[in-house]
Amino acid sequence: MATTSPSLSPRPRPVPSARWRRFTKGGGAELLILLVGIIVLWSTISSLIPNPSRYLPAPLTVIFSSSDMLWKGLLPNYVGQTIWRLVLGSILGLLVGIPFGILLGLNRTVSDMFYPILNFFQSISGIAILPIIVVWWGNSEQTVFTVILYTALFPIAFNVLAGVRGIPIIYINVMRSLGASNMRIIRDVIIPGAMPNIATGARLGIGFAWRAVIAGEMLVGKRGLGWMIFTAQDTDHTDQVILGMVMIGTIWILIDRFALRPIEADTIQRWGLVQR
Amino acid sequence: MPPKLVVQGLSHHYPDEYTGEDVHALDNVSLDVEEGVFAAVVGPSGCGKTTLLNILAGLLPYHKGHVKVDGVDVKGPSPDRGVVFQEHAILPWRTVARNIGHGLEIQGMPGPERSTRTQEFIDLVNLTGFEDRYPHELSGGMKQRVALARTLCANPVVMLMDEPFAAVDAQTRITLQEELNRIAMATKKTTLLITHNVDEAAFLGDKCFVFTRRPGKLKATVSIDIPRDKRIWQDLLHDPEFVAKRDEILTLVREEVSPHGDD
Repeated sequence: MATTSPSLSPRPRPVPSARWRRFTKGGGAELLILLVGIIVLWSTISSLIPNPSRYLPAPLTVIFSSSDMLWKGLLPNYVGQTIWRLVLGSILGLLVGIPFGILLGLNRTVSDMFYPILNFFQSISGIAILPIIVVWWGNSEQTVFTVILYTALFPIAFNVLAGVRGIPIIYINVMRSLGASNMRIIRDVIIPGAMPNIATGARLGIGFAWRAVIAGEMLVGKRGLGWMIFTAQDTDHTDQVILGMVMIGTIWILIDRFALRPIEADTIQRWGLVQR
Repeated sequence: MPPKLVVQGLSHHYPDEYTGEDVHALDNVSLDVEEGVFAAVVGPSGCGKTTLLNILAGLLPYHKGHVKVDGVDVKGPSPDRGVVFQEHAILPWRTVARNIGHGLEIQGMPGPERSTRTQEFIDLVNLTGFEDRYPHELSGGMKQRVALARTLCANPVVMLMDEPFAAVDAQTRITLQEELNRIAMATKKTTLLITHNVDEAAFLGDKCFVFTRRPGKLKATVSIDIPRDKRIWQDLLHDPEFVAKRDEILTLVREEVSPHGDD
């Protein structure tokens, strides 16, 4: 406290200790211990099994033997390619899924009509529609984007639908008696009111899309992380397969932590909508 | 001058949501509210008070009779009838100031003019300093003040209030009633307040419409001529005129309440 007299007690060193406490309280220390444990276990197993470079290369081997990929600029290139596909596919998914979900949420007739069809297609995973898309568009970028869009669409549309349905009718009545037009109600009430579900839908949809990108790249893509681990397996480069897997998981954690969660925090928490 | 709000021979029935039975909610209701008058509608629960308000607000189509505001038939919701609902219904994603100015925003009033006028109403309901707060940071009473200010700020011809203080605690309710009295004195807004609380109706009303139990009919109209600047709870509780009016309304309402409690 700024007003406390300095003579009362020896002043603690606030900055490092506070930071350390936040680190340990936020689960940082546990995570670090867990990571070290996993790496130690992984190294031990690698050193015990025969032919580790084929079955389970040690962590250091993965880093060193993959380093030529880094130097040649291949890895950044693949990562960039995969992220670019995810970003564009997700934007498409949001642009189609959010208005579609709103339409379904607002109109009973439309939702009763579409619901069984949506439910039907939801059961057919992105990877299962890929063959027919390949027949239509071949091994093209368009094929990959279609699969991403298709995958992201359902969680987004279903969540937005639930969000719109959950908006108290009284908000809409109030707006109507303030003279609001339907467009105004959608802008001022429906979209912000459905925001928690839009955020959930986006996070789920983009999460599914991330898996779909990797799967899509394995089968049709040129370059990209999925393509990388698939061809690495073909050419017996297990170290690259593992590197690719680690990259996939790590990139997702970074996307979720630094792109998706801040959006949630910036809107929903500020409005007090997540106290449930 | 013709009354601001005219209801003539209004009847309404609707099928019950669960049983499908035909519910006869209102039966041949006629009432007038003149300009600047604060009217209260009081009656036992289930007497069709809320149905009446929803019809006046234009949220419910009616079957028989006439409803006119400023001489024009009510057909659907319109900003000439501002509504304050039982649940405050202010938007959680808008700050206090943006909620209160929402009606003006919808009317297309330009920004600078809008913020001046919005500020007037923020001050009127004693929320100065809370302009940039979000609703979840406010108490129940403060939220209801935001809802009241939002309605008044849009400058409706008549203000309709549906049990606006039913959801707040007793202490807050008394404060809000006194504040609403002060605001009624300041704005002279033509108002129709729906309530089941006899004290509230007698405290706030210039006149008080007492309804029968369902199907709701107008049973009696009681005028209360106590000047607004004398309407302070501590004084009124011992004021013979107020006590007599309140008891008159209470007797009228109690005759309608079923001996088994809720009907």
